[in-house]
Amino acid sequence: MSVVTNFPSKKTGGANGAPVAGSRLVVEQVGKNFLGPDGGAVSAIGSVSLDVAPGEFLAIVGPSGCGKSTLLQVIAGLMMPSSGKVRLGDQDVTGEPAHMVYLFQQYSKSLLPWMTVANNVMFAFSHRLKLSGAAAQARCRDYLAMVGLADFGNHYPWQLSGGMQQRVAIARALAAEPRVLLMDEPFSSVDALTRMDLHALILDLWSQKRFTAVLVTHDVDEAIFLADRVAVLTHRPATISEVIETKLPRPRHSIETRESPAFLALRHRLLKYLLARNDGGAHG
Amino acid sequence: MASGRDRATAVVLGIIVPLAGLVVLEIASRSGWVNPTFLPPPTTILATFWGIIASGGFAAPLAQTLLLLFTGYGIGCVAAIALGILMGSSGPVFNLFEPLTELLRPLPKPALLPALILFLGLGARMEITIVALGCFFPVLINTIQGVRAVEPTMINTARTFGHGTMAIWRRILLPASAPYILAGMRISLGLGLILVVTAEMIAGSGGLGDSILSAQRTFLVKESYAWLVVLALLGLLLTWLFTVVERRLAFWNAPPIQ
Repeated sequence: MSVVTNFPSKKTGGANGAPVAGSRLVVEQVGKNFLGPDGGAVSAIGSVSLDVAPGEFLAIVGPSGCGKSTLLQVIAGLMMPSSGKVRLGDQDVTGEPAHMVYLFQQYSKSLLPWMTVANNVMFAFSHRLKLSGAAAQARCRDYLAMVGLADFGNHYPWQLSGGMQQRVAIARALAAEPRVLLMDEPFSSVDALTRMDLHALILDLWSQKRFTAVLVTHDVDEAIFLADRVAVLTHRPATISEVIETKLPRPRHSIETRESPAFLALRHRLLKYLLARNDGGAHG
Repeated sequence: MASGRDRATAVVLGIIVPLAGLVVLEIASRSGWVNPTFLPPPTTILATFWGIIASGGFAAPLAQTLLLLFTGYGIGCVAAIALGILMGSSGPVFNLFEPLTELLRPLPKPALLPALILFLGLGARMEITIVALGCFFPVLINTIQGVRAVEPTMINTARTFGHGTMAIWRRILLPASAPYILAGMRISLGLGLILVVTAEMIAGSGGLGDSILSAQRTFLVKESYAWLVVLALLGLLLTWLFTVVERRLAFWNAPPIQ
């Protein structure tokens, strides 16, 4: 059994809400090099180590182009690291692990336009679970209802607004019932109000389902609002310079939490830190 | 709605020019500006055309042309899609075939007819082969493009849900490249029609191309033009049919404006 540290304060885990034991996510000194234009190796990630407890919500913030997405793709098994390794539970990640799902930034590119919303959602699980047609439909309806799109199963993604499309992508990711949900700036291509709406939605679903969440973002407010811990990445080659526990009470509220002194203090600290780095300032 | 009226206006405008052309030809032919032996008045041609339709005489040549066209088109498209998928997804396969396809692609396909006749004679095998060769290249080029243009995020999405290679091909790569493949098939259908008619004229063993040329050679000029009308209508019908098929198969490619 893994020791659960910093476990979220709001525990609503029911029958399907219990955190899955053995799904601790460990990133051990992961480095990633790419082939540069001159044929030499360019280091995207220096050496990153992370330890994410089951059911924890971790945010990784860093400046644009610092290798955040690369790190997340390595964790997801979509890319092999050049050094170090990723472990989920007691298994090394060498391909796409069965219990990990990746939520992409661009819903317009990850939703399949030739499939209805319902078929997009079923794409997440129908090949793994040999469900009857009716059972698959029911599961699909459940997840669409969770994101408030119960009536949109027969629509095509491109018939929906951007926010609705990202809701479909969220429903699809969760319909796979992952132990770990990796999110690659999933709220950055919708407008500000929709983004706050989706933040509340993802927190609600997370508290119901108790998956481990790893969010990559450049939005400091978003990181603090959602996460238990915020890891700060440096410029390329990325390393973790700081990990901050937010310790904000849950459940969190869209307006109140963002106005609380504790939130503002964290925001101040993180922004100061990130902006100093952008000026090419001293390394902490 | 204004859009209905706009469409009606567009249709009327579109008819004016061909109609005016026919009127000019009618006058030119009847007044003797052009030799009516070479160009009978359009009304006479239409009457002859109607005779071919009413007697059912159009059926055999049309059926033969369609059979040759679709056999060659089918073979060419299937081969091109298969090779295009391999070339689009594998660097070595692309490097292996690219110089050869770039050499053969710009070659005007009717130039191959003499050689094909030597090997295959003047029959259906030669005609199908030239159609297949002509239809092959546009579909090949577009399939390669289509496979390469598939959004990596879509493939990664499928991978992260644990879909295997075969499922990714069937459920992501093929549908995602379908709009490209269909665009190539549209070009090939037009090329196929050109080539089947050319080959039929040379082979002289039936079909619309043979009908047009044989009628002209035996001074049945009205008939020759009437067969031309049959051919033009066939082209129009095939284009329309293809548009319908394309809209059904790649419906997401032109989503309606909200």
